[in-house]
Amino acid sequence: MDLRALFGFASLPKPDFISAYEKSLERKIPKRKPLSEVAFLVLDTETTGLDVKKDHVLSYGSIQVLHNRIRISSSKEFYLKPKKRNREAIKVHGLVQVRPYVSRERVIRTFLEDTRHKVLVGHHIGFDLAMLERIGKSLGLRKIKNPALDTYDLAVRLDRGRYYDPHTVPSKEYSLDHLCERYAISLDDRHTAAGDAFLTAQLLVKLLKVAEAKGIKTYGDLLG
Amino acid sequence: MANVIVNRIIDFLKKYPPFSFLSSELLGQVAAEVDLLYFEKEEFLFQKGEPAKSYFFVVKEGAIKLTDKAAGVEETVEFCDEGDVFGVLALLVKRPYILNARANEPSLIIAVPVGIFEKILNENSQVSLYFASGFASGQVVVRSGLSQTQQVRDLLGRKPDENGLMLLSGQRTLQYSHPVVQCPVGTSVFKAVTQMSKASVGSIMVVDENQHPKGIITDKDLRNRLIAKGLSYDTPVEAIMSQPVVTASKELEFSDVYLNMVKHRLHHLVFTEDGSPDSPLLGIISDHDILLSQGNSPAVLIKALQESEDIHEMAKLRNQAEGMLKYYLENELSIDFIAGILTEINDTIIRSAIRLALTKLQPSFPEVQELDFCFLGLGSEGRGEQLLRTDLDNALVYQDVPEHLQEKAQSFMHLLSRDVLDVLFACGFHSCPAEMMANNPQWCQPLSQWKRYFSQWIREPNPRSLMMGTIFFDFRAVAGKHSLADALTQHVYEEIRQEKVFLNFFAKNALLNPPPLGFFRNFMVEKSGEHAEKFDIKLRAMMPLADAARVLILSHQVVGINNTFKRYEKLAELEPNQASLFKDAGKAYEIFMRIRALEGLANESSGRFIQPDSLGKLQRQLLKNAFFPIDEIQKILKVRFQLDYFGN
Repeated sequence: MDLRALFGFASLPKPDFISAYEKSLERKIPKRKPLSEVAFLVLDTETTGLDVKKDHVLSYGSIQVLHNRIRISSSKEFYLKPKKRNREAIKVHGLVQVRPYVSRERVIRTFLEDTRHKVLVGHHIGFDLAMLERIGKSLGLRKIKNPALDTYDLAVRLDRGRYYDPHTVPSKEYSLDHLCERYAISLDDRHTAAGDAFLTAQLLVKLLKVAEAKGIKTYGDLLG
Repeated sequence: MANVIVNRIIDFLKKYPPFSFLSSELLGQVAAEVDLLYFEKEEFLFQKGEPAKSYFFVVKEGAIKLTDKAAGVEETVEFCDEGDVFGVLALLVKRPYILNARANEPSLIIAVPVGIFEKILNENSQVSLYFASGFASGQVVVRSGLSQTQQVRDLLGRKPDENGLMLLSGQRTLQYSHPVVQCPVGTSVFKAVTQMSKASVGSIMVVDENQHPKGIITDKDLRNRLIAKGLSYDTPVEAIMSQPVVTASKELEFSDVYLNMVKHRLHHLVFTEDGSPDSPLLGIISDHDILLSQGNSPAVLIKALQESEDIHEMAKLRNQAEGMLKYYLENELSIDFIAGILTEINDTIIRSAIRLALTKLQPSFPEVQELDFCFLGLGSEGRGEQLLRTDLDNALVYQDVPEHLQEKAQSFMHLLSRDVLDVLFACGFHSCPAEMMANNPQWCQPLSQWKRYFSQWIREPNPRSLMMGTIFFDFRAVAGKHSLADALTQHVYEEIRQEKVFLNFFAKNALLNPPPLGFFRNFMVEKSGEHAEKFDIKLRAMMPLADAARVLILSHQVVGINNTFKRYEKLAELEPNQASLFKDAGKAYEIFMRIRALEGLANESSGRFIQPDSLGKLQRQLLKNAFFPIDEIQKILKVRFQLDYFGN
């Protein structure tokens, strides 16, 4: 029984792309799948702030990593039109030039299409996914349920093993800036969503090589 | 629609050939299609024998080594560092990889898919030439490749809009005056002068009824042959015209015409339909025309040097020539042309110096003042390849004299040589550390003594003799009686005919410096260390080629060709089945000469030691490709002179 229907709160019919996304989630990635065959979508968002409830997404960038290859052809970069009261925040991020803005629907649609059968990857990915869910809510997206890999967690795990006390981690050392420096990735286009997604993708392919050397060889080893 | 990620790739690729030749639109398309791959140290990208992948590679960060397994040992054939392209050959010829590719350090690699690659090849001729000529790594240059490589570099190296002062290289086609001010045979001088004055020109062509050029009248002719002689203005033009005129075909390259005029000291060159004087007049070019097109004309320099009586002025003029050399090199004029001009300038200095010295010394040596002598250039000077004012190597040969005059002749010639050398030093040339110069009494000798020297070197080919041989066998008559030099050449060939084994020794000597094929490998290995060693381009690249050319040309008994690159041209002609290799060797030599001269000018040095990282990517690849013929030429020497069995 659908209680919401009973009380007349039925949500609008779901757009096709959301239904298609939800359907794609039924197929799980087998645990034995070798890491080199796992498909990743590396993403990043730039936002007006760190409050998931109040702040807004300004831009979205993503790139796919398939078979250990960063596919430049899959790269995406979108800018969302900011609301007036967020102008101050925009200055902080330096996003002052006029962009060809796209709609929220376009961002979510593209994201959901790219994300099928993929592991989502980001540095502090939880925050980015929460922000995307916020945008997607009005479109009928309820939850992003893909497996997610946080490059922060992976980097820490590779240093400290699988079971570590999060409170003892010097988190600054695992910031994107620090990790890029450590893994010899030049910090180009830092603080643009696509630029950070690209840096994160480079970090990912390097971390995965380290992981393989440490015996993390399958999808199950990585996220199981 | 390029996003920051694609732009990042574009910014990287556009720095390196062949991507640097692409339009920004095409580059954007390429960048949007590539993949990025990461390899750990020692990880394989591909292995020998694997079928070609559907993409080729560019090193973005790190370094890749291309290796081959010979006798069970994996040997590095080549290193690719940032911006190097590899894995192309297999794609081009659709066959398996012939080498292994392995990461030498953690490396980020760009993979360019074959689809977009074919699109580039079709749409951009520069890129297809680039690949066809073996510029990418891991490609052995095909035999016929080097002259094409050179062309490609000319093509790639020149920016189309770089015209500014483009004097010669931009001026491939001839710009002669047209129509020409002219009058028929039989015209009175008065009428002719009226025509000249009307057109405000300094010369008029005299033609016959068929428009064939018969002569030319210049202001100077009017002054010397008409007015000074007190002839009437009704004199027909043919009576005072300069004739015959020197004609040329309009098909000639500008640089050829130019060199011709400089060499023969022509004031005018007349162009006719077929290039002969018996064909209709097309146009005329004067040294003045050239002067106008040349801020810094060699014709002017040479003329000034010829007339100079002052050693300081000559030095100043020679400094000016350096600026000209730089300009020629930067504008990719042919080495043949550049070396021709510079040799002419250097020779002119010597001739003028001799003229001055004779005027000064002759009164003190009345008995021997008419003595025949010949000033010889040796080494690179003798080969006509001395672009920079490096060490002097020269000598003087004079006619044999009766015994009672020997002492007088000796001191006269020695003083003469000393004066000439002083002028050359003042003009910025360096003294030969081994004192192989005409001012050394040992190398200022009568013909009979020179013959004894050469006989001795040929008959007793010990290391010292062979070393002497490499320098003295390239002698060239610079000034004075050429017949003395010819007599010496004759003698040398007769001696070699009798003493055939000498050439085997000489050939063995030419193999002392193996080709530097490992140059880039070593450079790469040592790049992080403190041994960022310089490369001795003279010893490792030029001498092996010059030495081989000398031996081969001697074995063919060819007289009068001293340029190394011209020797190879001649060898290509004499041995058609090896023609492509000899042509390549000649081109390689020209490339080395150019790179060395540029290096020398840039660092005010002899240019002999090249800092590999100071070279651009294209130049490094060019240099590397130019090494290949050395090895091949040395193999020929080994076989031909049976050096593997020849006494050690």
